[in-house]
Amino acid sequence: MNAMNPHRFGCQHFAKHSRRDFVYGLGATLGTVAFNALLRQELSAADNPQSANPLMPKQPHLAAKAKACIFLFMEGGPSHLDTFDPKPKLAELHMKEFTRNDRFASAMTSGKRYFVRSPFQFKQHGRSGLWMCDKFEHLARVADELCVYRGCQVDSIDHPTACYQMNTGNRFTGDPAVGAWTSFGLGTRNQNLPAFVVLPDGAFPQGGAANWSNGFLPAHFQGTPLRSQGSPILDLNPPPHVTRDTQRANLDLLAKLNADDARRHPNQGELAARMAAYELAFRMQAEVPGVINLDNEDAKTKELYGIGQPATDRFGRRCLLARKLVQSGVRFVQLFEGGWDSHDYIDRAHTGRIRCVDKPIAALLTDLRRLGLLDSTLVIWSGEFGRSPDNGVRGGENVAGRDHNAKGMAMWLAGGGVKSGHAIGATDEIGEKAAECVHHLRDLHVTVLRLLGLDDNKLTYFHEGRFKQLSQTGGQVINELIA
Amino acid sequence: MGWITFPCIRMKRPFAFVVVPALLAASPSPAAAPAQELAQRAWAVISQKCLACHGNDAEKIKGGLNLTTRAGALAGGESERTVLKPGKPDESLLYTAATRADPQLPMPPKDNDALSPAQLKILRDWILAGAPWPGEKPAAGSWNAADGIVVKTSGGLSPDWSNRRYKPEDVWAWQPVGTPAVPSIRDSKFTIRNPIDAFTAAPLALRGIPQAKPADKPTLLRRATFDLLGLPPTPAELDAFVRDKSPDAFAKVVKRLLDSPHYGEQQARHWLDVTRYADTAGFSNDYERPHAWRYRDYVIRSFNADKPYDRFILEQIAGDEIEPANLEMLIAVGFLRMGPWEHTSMTVAAVTRQDFLDDVTHHVGVTFLGQGLRCARCHDHKFDPVPTRDYYRLQAAFASTQFAERPSPFLPGEHIGDTTAARARVEQHLSDARAVLAGLRQKNQDAIAAHEKQHGAGSVADLTKSDTARRDNFGLTKDELSVRKVHQKRQDFFERERQRFEAYALSVYSGPPNNYTSVRPLFGVPTNRVGVVQVVSILNGGALETPGEAVKPGVLSAMSAANDLDANSPWALPDSANGRRTALAKWIASPQNTLTARVLVNRVWQQHFGRGLVATPNNLGAMGGKPTHPELLDWLAGWFTENGWSLKKLHALILNSATYQQTSSAERGTRNAESADPRNDLLSHFPTRRLAAEELRDAMLAVTGELNPQTGGPGVFPEINWEVAFQPRHIMGSVAPAYQPSPTPAERNRRTLYAFRIRTLADPMLEVFNRPGSETSCEHRDATTVTPQVFSLMNGGFANNRALAFAASLEKSAPTLKSRIELAFRRAFGRPPAGNEVKSCEAHFNKMLAHHRLNAPKANDLPTKVKHHMVEEMTGEDFFWDEELDVLRRYTRDLMPWQAGAETRALAEVCLVLLNANEFVYVR
Repeated sequence: MNAMNPHRFGCQHFAKHSRRDFVYGLGATLGTVAFNALLRQELSAADNPQSANPLMPKQPHLAAKAKACIFLFMEGGPSHLDTFDPKPKLAELHMKEFTRNDRFASAMTSGKRYFVRSPFQFKQHGRSGLWMCDKFEHLARVADELCVYRGCQVDSIDHPTACYQMNTGNRFTGDPAVGAWTSFGLGTRNQNLPAFVVLPDGAFPQGGAANWSNGFLPAHFQGTPLRSQGSPILDLNPPPHVTRDTQRANLDLLAKLNADDARRHPNQGELAARMAAYELAFRMQAEVPGVINLDNEDAKTKELYGIGQPATDRFGRRCLLARKLVQSGVRFVQLFEGGWDSHDYIDRAHTGRIRCVDKPIAALLTDLRRLGLLDSTLVIWSGEFGRSPDNGVRGGENVAGRDHNAKGMAMWLAGGGVKSGHAIGATDEIGEKAAECVHHLRDLHVTVLRLLGLDDNKLTYFHEGRFKQLSQTGGQVINELIA
Repeated sequence: MGWITFPCIRMKRPFAFVVVPALLAASPSPAAAPAQELAQRAWAVISQKCLACHGNDAEKIKGGLNLTTRAGALAGGESERTVLKPGKPDESLLYTAATRADPQLPMPPKDNDALSPAQLKILRDWILAGAPWPGEKPAAGSWNAADGIVVKTSGGLSPDWSNRRYKPEDVWAWQPVGTPAVPSIRDSKFTIRNPIDAFTAAPLALRGIPQAKPADKPTLLRRATFDLLGLPPTPAELDAFVRDKSPDAFAKVVKRLLDSPHYGEQQARHWLDVTRYADTAGFSNDYERPHAWRYRDYVIRSFNADKPYDRFILEQIAGDEIEPANLEMLIAVGFLRMGPWEHTSMTVAAVTRQDFLDDVTHHVGVTFLGQGLRCARCHDHKFDPVPTRDYYRLQAAFASTQFAERPSPFLPGEHIGDTTAARARVEQHLSDARAVLAGLRQKNQDAIAAHEKQHGAGSVADLTKSDTARRDNFGLTKDELSVRKVHQKRQDFFERERQRFEAYALSVYSGPPNNYTSVRPLFGVPTNRVGVVQVVSILNGGALETPGEAVKPGVLSAMSAANDLDANSPWALPDSANGRRTALAKWIASPQNTLTARVLVNRVWQQHFGRGLVATPNNLGAMGGKPTHPELLDWLAGWFTENGWSLKKLHALILNSATYQQTSSAERGTRNAESADPRNDLLSHFPTRRLAAEELRDAMLAVTGELNPQTGGPGVFPEINWEVAFQPRHIMGSVAPAYQPSPTPAERNRRTLYAFRIRTLADPMLEVFNRPGSETSCEHRDATTVTPQVFSLMNGGFANNRALAFAASLEKSAPTLKSRIELAFRRAFGRPPAGNEVKSCEAHFNKMLAHHRLNAPKANDLPTKVKHHMVEEMTGEDFFWDEELDVLRRYTRDLMPWQAGAETRALAEVCLVLLNANEFVYVR
C-alpha cells in the first residue's frame, strides 16, 4: 500500500503546494481576476492532507490570547430586561398602555401596547458588582469572569433572518458562519476532528443548517453537527454487519483500483486527494468516539455540569462536550439552545430557560478556568436579538411577555482577551434601545475575530465579484470589550 | 505652481518619462494640462478609495478628516498629523498611509482595497506637483484617452461616478458582440472539425502546445452521456457505438442524446441551479410551495422542446403579460418567485415587499445578464457601469408584480399521476389535527362554562386579567397547550401539502398593490385591481426608511446597443401597470443585448468543459473572469442568435468539435501543457470533472438497474440518512413534521431532480458532494474533496443499499462470478475490466464470502414513531410528544442484507468498492 503513504505524496507534489500559496497571496492585491474560479481549481487539485489541507493551523493576523471559541447561542432572543439589564423604570410603568402605529413596526408590535416590568429581582455580584437577575444562582458565582455588553444592535426582528445575521453577518442565507470564517482563518489543531463543531438542541434551529454554513467558503469549513444520540457524525460508523477488517479489505481493493487508475491518468491531483480522504476517514472512525465519550469524566465533573439532573442534563452534556472538544483541539464550538422566545408569561418561560442553562454555563466557565483553558478560550453568550419592554394584547388578554427587539439586547463574553468583570454599554431608561457604546452587530463580529487574532479586513474571500468578509462591508473593533 | 516641480520627478523616476510626453501631446495647453490632469487622476483615486469614510457622508466622517476639499485635506483630522503637505508626499499621511508602510495605519483599512502601484504613483506625483485641486466639476473631456473610456449611463449619484473611466478590458461585455473571423489553422497536427476548433487551436499553435489525441470511444460515450443526460451509458449503448464504424457514429450518438427526454432533465438541473429552485419557501416555517414543481417541469419541457432561448426568457419574466390565456405562461413566471420568501406576523410588510423587489432585481441581472446588481442597491456600482438609478429603474419594472397562486388546469404534458393515496393521507392527517384541536377547544369551553356556572357569569374574564392566564387557555394543562400548538402547525403544513394536487400555478399578475399581507398564499387574482402602482424611489443607502428621488421603470443604461425603445428616453420602459415586464424581457431577449447571448453560450460551454470561457458565468463584469477565448465567445454568441437561439444546435456544435472529443491526458510535445498552461485555460486536453451530486446518485441507481425513468410530477421523497430524516426541525412555535420517504422503491428511486427540495433540510449525501443550497443563484458547482464524502459513500445507507441491489442485479443478469464482475465494470465504468482487475475482484469476493458465510446480519425494523422534544416558549420547559410515522407503517424497503445470501453480500462488497472508485465518480 505504498500509494497510501502520505509522505510520498508530500514530496512529490511540493511544487504544487507553493503554487497554491501563491494564488492565495495574489488574492490580496490583484483586483480583477476571478479568484474564486482560480481557487476552485486549486482547491480541487489538493494533493494530500499534508501539503494542501486548507485546515492546517495557520498563523493569526495578530497576536491574541484566545485560540478557540465556544459560542453559546440562545435561540429565540433572551430578554436583556430579565437577565443582565435591570430597568427599575419599568416597575413604574407596569401595565401602562400606549399605542404604536408605525409603518416600520410589524403587525405584532403595532396597535395597543402596555409596558411590562421584570418579574425577577436583580442583585449585584462579584467584586465587579455585575447586575444579574436572581434566577442565575450559579452564574452569579463566576460573575467576575463575564463582560456584559448592552450596546449591540441588529437589523432584523424576525427569528431566522436575525439568527442568520448573528451567525453569519448576513440577514439572508448564503454567507459563512462565524465558526466557518474562524476555521478558514486559523485552520485547526486536530485534523482528525472537524474544525467547527455544532452542538444543536434536540431540534435544529429555525433556518436550519444555514446557521452553521460554510457559505461561499470551501466545504471544509462547514460546521459539523455532533449529534447527542445515534451516530455523532453522520455515517461515521459503517452498517452493523461491517467489521473493521472487512472495511479495511474494501479500502485495500479500492486503493488498488484507484492506484491503477491514477497511473493511467497522471497529473490529476484530485484523484490522490480522494485516496487520502479515505484513509483519513478510516482513522477518524476510530478516534472520534473516544473524544466525545463523556463516560470517562468523573462523577464530580458530571455533577458540576448538572448531568443527570432533569433540568440541566441536556445542556450540561453539551457544555461538557464543548470543553472536551476545545481540549482536543477543535477551533470553534457552537451550542444551540432554543426556547427563549417568551412572548407570553416571561416569568414562567424565562425561569425555565435560565434554570436549564445556569448551572451548566457556570460549570463550563469554572471548569475551563480550573484546567487553565479559559484564558485561551473565548466564550460568547448571546441570542439573535433582545426583547421589548412592552407587549401587545393577544387573545384579548395581557399576557405579560415580551416581543422582539433588534435595537436593545444584552450578551456577554468571557475568557481569552476579554475585559471580564465589566458591563459595557447601556440601553435607555426602559431598555428599548441601546444608548451607550452603541455598535451595530458587525462591530461585534469584528471584535470577536480580533479576540481570536483575526483581522476582519484581512479575512476575506473573493465571491460574486468582490472580497467578502464577516462584517459584510467592514467594521470597527469595540475596544471597550477587550482587556 | 504645482507642475513646476514636475521635471524633478522625471529625474528621479524614469517611469514618468513614459507618461508625461503622452499627457503633453494630448493637451491643448501644454503648460496647464499636467496640473489639471494630475488633479483629476488623483481625485479619481481619492474619491474611489477615501471618500466613503472621509467625505461622502457628512454624518459618518471618520477621524474628523474631510477630503472633499483641499482645505479639509490641509487641515487634517483628529490625529493632528499632517495629512497633506504639498510637494512632500513622504510627509503626507494621505500618501504614506496609502503605501501601507506603517502597519498601524494602513489606508484604506481593508487590504483588498489597497492602492495599486499605479494609483500610488498618481498620488505621489500629484503631491509632488503641489497637490492642485480639481475644479468643482471635473470636465470629462479633459481626460487623456490613456486613462480609460467613459461609459454613458443614466447618471450616477455623483458626477465623479458618471464621468469615471473604465479600462476597456473591464467593460468588454457591454460592447456589442463582435463578428470575429474564424482563424485559419495551417498546422496539420491540429484537427479542425468546426470553427470552435480553429478558435481553440490558434492560441495553442501560437504557443507550441500540442492538441491532445482523440478520446477512445468508451470514454467519449461516457462523457457525452453524462454531459447531456446526467446518466451513464448502458452496456448496450456502449456496444452499439463501438460497433458503429461510420464516420458520423458520434454525431448520431449526440443526436440520440439530444432527443432523449432525459436531456431536458439534465439541462434543467443546470438552469434550476441558477434560478434557485426549491419546493419550500425557506426561513422560519419553510412552508411548502405546493405548485413549484410545475415550474420545474415547465423548464424540463422547454429544454426538451428546444424552445428558442429568447422565447424562454420572455416566458419566465413576462409570460403572464404576453399570453394571458396560455396557462403554461402562468407557470413560467414562477421564475420570479423562486427566491426564499416569508412573511410572518413579526415581519414588517414593507420590508418583506422590498426584500422581494431586491431579490428579483438582482437575480434577473444574475440569471440573464451575468451582472449582479445588488451592489447598486446602496451606491453606484463600484466596478461596473451600473448606477444606483438603474438599479431602481430596473426594480420599477417589477413594481406592479403581485404574488398569486393562479388557477391553471393541468396541461396535457404534465404528469400528476395517481394521487389518490397521497390525497387520502393528507386528508387523514388534516382531520386528525382538526379533531385534536376541536377536542381542546371543547375542553376549554366546557371549563369556562363550568367555572361560570359555579362562580357567576364573567368570572373567567376576571381570572384571566392576571398576568398568567388567557381565556382561550382556561382549563387546559401545560401539555395540552403545547399539543394545541403542534397541531395548529400540523394543520398549517398539511393544508399546504393538500394544495400540491390542486391545479394552481405559483405565479404573479401585474397590477396595483393588493395590500395582501397575510402569511398564507393568495389564491386567484383579485377582481378589484384598481389603484396606483407602487412608486419606486432610489433608497438612500438601500434603506427603506430613507427614500430619495422617485424613478420610472427602465433598463441598464450602459448598454446603448439594445436600447432602441425611444429616442427621447432611450432607457425607459412603459410605466403602465401591465407591460413593464414584457418590455424588460424583450430588451433582455434582444440580439442587440450585449450580455444575454454571451451569458448563455458561456453557461453551456461550462456544462461541457467544467469551466466557462468566462470562469464566472454570473458575472461578466469588471470583477468577473476575463474570457480565455474572447473571439470564440463572441463567435458562439453570434452563431447562437443566428441559429434561432437553439440550445440543442449549440450543444451539437460543441460536442461535434475536436476540442470536445480530445482525451483528458495532455499530449507530450515540445512544450508541455502542464507547464505552459497549468490551468488548461487553452483546452489542450479535455478537463476531467467529478460527477455532480445528483449525477452521482442517479448514476448509482442507473447501474443497479433501479432507476425509475418516469419524468415530471410533484416532488418525491427519496430515502435519506434516517437520522437526518427524523431530526426534529424547529419551525415557528413548533417542530416540522418528520421527513418520511415515499413508500415504494419505484417512487423513491426517481431521478434526484424530482426529489422534493426542502430549503432547510438537505439530503446530506447530496450536500457533501457540493449540491448548493437554493438561496442564492449557483453559477458553478464546487467539487471539493472532504472526508464526510467517504462516510457517505462507504458507510451510508443509500450507498450500501445500492451495492446490494447492484449485486442482486448482476446475479440475475450474468451466470458466473467472472461474467458478473465484467458486467459490473461495463455498467459502472463504461468499459470492460482490464489487466488483473477481474482477478483482484475475484480474490476480494472470495475473502468476503468467507466472512459473510460465518456472519449473518441481523434484521432491524424501521421505527414507527419519532420522539420530538421542544422547549415550550410559554413555560421555558421541555415538552415531548410522539409523532406517528404513518408512511413507514406501509413501507416497502429496498433489498436488505438480512434478506440476501452470503454470495450476494460478498458480491455487494465488490460493488461498493466500484461505486467508490475514482473512475466511477469522475468523468474524463
